[in-house]
Amino acid sequence: MKTKNKDKIRMSAILIVSLFVIATGTLFSLTSFMKGDIAGGVAGVFIAITILVFAIFVFIRGNRDMKKGFPLHDERSRKVLEKASSKAFYVSLYLLLAIGFLSDDLIKFRDVSQATGIAVGVMAILFAVFWAYYNRMEI
Amino acid sequence: MKTRIKEFRAKYNFTQEDLARKVGVRRETILFLEKGKYNPSLKLAHDVARALKTTIDELFIFEKRK
Repeated sequence: MKTKNKDKIRMSAILIVSLFVIATGTLFSLTSFMKGDIAGGVAGVFIAITILVFAIFVFIRGNRDMKKGFPLHDERSRKVLEKASSKAFYVSLYLLLAIGFLSDDLIKFRDVSQATGIAVGVMAILFAVFWAYYNRMEI
Repeated sequence: MKTRIKEFRAKYNFTQEDLARKVGVRRETILFLEKGKYNPSLKLAHDVARALKTTIDELFIFEKRK
């Protein structure tokens, strides 16, 4: 019973955080488009859609499992989360380094917030990719 | 690592979902355990063995390292 309540709270938290992220992504895109930054706007839309798809997938899966009486997380799913997040963090260090090096010459960011937004968005995508990978692999 | 979970599950007529509910894990965890694609914690191995009325030794077969 306690686990069920915890899972319900966790699901609500996931939903709220996802909505915030999507709203932020949409706002980011809108401001980018309004300032004439098409690339930034498209990147924002792409990131918001990716997170939306991932959130819908997590929400539907979690809801279905909760109804069937399965826990939202167990030791394997936690292990997958840990592995995916550590790998995403590790790879994103290189990504941040690359953004730092390229931001002066190759990539022209509107401002720091745009560069940070894109870096965070790519980190989220990296996490989703690694999660999908480790969820199918032997761990 | 190989397991005999499927064999014991069939013996007691349990589905993967039944066993997952008994042990308190997700169905995929049982699926990966059966495939030998997940190394469980000692606690989970013990819980699965207990649910299938057997021992860890009977259930999990560890191949010798070459």
